[in-house]
Amino acid sequence: MSNEESKVLQIISNFPNLDGRIRQIAPKRIFTDPLESGEFHQLVSYIHDEMGFFRAHHAVGVDDGENLGFIYIFSDEDNTILAAKQTVPKENPEIESLNKLYPSLLLHELELADLFGAVISGLPDVPHYPLPDGWPEGSYPMRKEWKPEYFNKETMTYEPPEEVQKNG
Amino acid sequence: MADDNKVIIPIGPQHPSLDEPASFTVTLSGERVDNVVIGIGYNHRGLEKACESRTYVQDLYIVERVCGICSHSHTSAFCMGVEQLAGVTVPDRAEYIRAIVAELERLHSHLLWLGVAGHEIGFDTLFMYTWRDREKVLDLLAAIGGNRINYSVNTFGGVRRDLDESIFAKITATLNELEKQINYYLELAQTELTLKARLSGIGCLSKEDALKFGATGPVLRAAGVAQDIRTAEPYGAYKNFEVNVITHTAADVFGRTAVRILEMLESIRIIRHCIKEMPEGAILAKVPRRIPEGEVIVRMEAPRGENIHYIRSNGTDKPDRIRVRAPSEANWHGMQHMLKGEYLADVPISIAAIDPCYSCTDRAITVNSDGTRKVTDWQSIRKYGIDWYKKRGLDMADIRLERGV
Repeated sequence: MSNEESKVLQIISNFPNLDGRIRQIAPKRIFTDPLESGEFHQLVSYIHDEMGFFRAHHAVGVDDGENLGFIYIFSDEDNTILAAKQTVPKENPEIESLNKLYPSLLLHELELADLFGAVISGLPDVPHYPLPDGWPEGSYPMRKEWKPEYFNKETMTYEPPEEVQKNG
Repeated sequence: MADDNKVIIPIGPQHPSLDEPASFTVTLSGERVDNVVIGIGYNHRGLEKACESRTYVQDLYIVERVCGICSHSHTSAFCMGVEQLAGVTVPDRAEYIRAIVAELERLHSHLLWLGVAGHEIGFDTLFMYTWRDREKVLDLLAAIGGNRINYSVNTFGGVRRDLDESIFAKITATLNELEKQINYYLELAQTELTLKARLSGIGCLSKEDALKFGATGPVLRAAGVAQDIRTAEPYGAYKNFEVNVITHTAADVFGRTAVRILEMLESIRIIRHCIKEMPEGAILAKVPRRIPEGEVIVRMEAPRGENIHYIRSNGTDKPDRIRVRAPSEANWHGMQHMLKGEYLADVPISIAAIDPCYSCTDRAITVNSDGTRKVTDWQSIRKYGIDWYKKRGLDMADIRLERGV
């Protein structure tokens, strides 16, 4: 059994609900399926406290249509990468910050808020990043329905035609 | 004034001591930094969004322009990701050529940094020496790829340029010269007391804090952590030979300086090894235009540290998502911490010590008032500089750039 497989088994033995939803996809790569907020945070606390995943490299936002996915990338002493995915409805993209557990995630979570519209509780009061001041409210450029051709750089307004707004 | 004893000083986003747009709102207690709020993102270009509406091949050119220094690092990570998704094995010769270019990139990046560090502490002679030496590396990269910065050596499945014996001879000769120079800089760092005193004990980031704040590259290794993706998760040609991971225990700007100088010597050793062991054969494997559905996380060691690319494909010729985490992005968090308690005068060199990324190019394009364009090459810029000083009574025309230290 590989090192990664034994780590997957350890997680499944503690979280039976993740059986079939977490797997090794390549050497040194463990990925989860998109998880609900509660199970995501339980998993992250466990791998941080009990399994030595002390590094958080990255938080990647993805647009899955009706949902937004937030992929948090961790690694341990063996340099095994664990990509834990959290999914939330696009209509109500509320997540909790992991910044207290992993201070290195601050900029990445700020990006998720600015570019994907994630509503993140527990973030410190820091300047906007990376979008400029005056960026239109409710305009999230990394969502698939956001098209650069409808953004006016001079007036800083985003005005898609009505039929685009309806159809997304 | 923040309160009776504290002063807030805004530095940037445009400031003489900053080479790129970033703002640092520094709260001072006397001369000491009490707190720093870092503002970045002034130059966000939306490259990831742009990649989603273009094909993988078009994206290769965008990804190459993520960084003006580490262009090869980004295309290497991107190509490795796409190759993994497509299930393509890159020929050994191409992997060795990628490694040679990657190490040349590390050399010119570290030489550039050493010059910037010299400049920030008022040691402009060091700046002039190292940037002169960096030109030699850029000349090699221009000879290999036809350009000094965006050399476009990588493509999916391998490399676009083969290297022959004549270029190997040129690389070897240049490395012999550079090795002498870099050993001189090493001796300088070890023996020049002023330099050591100026760089020691500032910009401190302990091993624990470096790990806590996710520091990477020379910043992490200078805190005593032997983490280098070339050995932690060997990729490409690095699977075939040992890489000596350079560490230091000083955990300050001096430690980062020592790590970078020693890493340059290690890069020279790796390039020589790759030339000696260069496999024969093809330099390119065929990669399909449409990339099968999947997702991949690629890690590689860029000059500034760990470079991570996340790529999600959807079975078409365009990616669904590309996310680039450049090393500087990881080092900002630690930098904020390391500036606290510093003297204000040490802030510029401490900022520079993480080697935050900025772009450069040798070819300036001037647009005249009548709308015509003029492309100025390196020789013309040099001549312009000489003439500018000559008009002011200083003739630099006889200074030989090739003169040794």
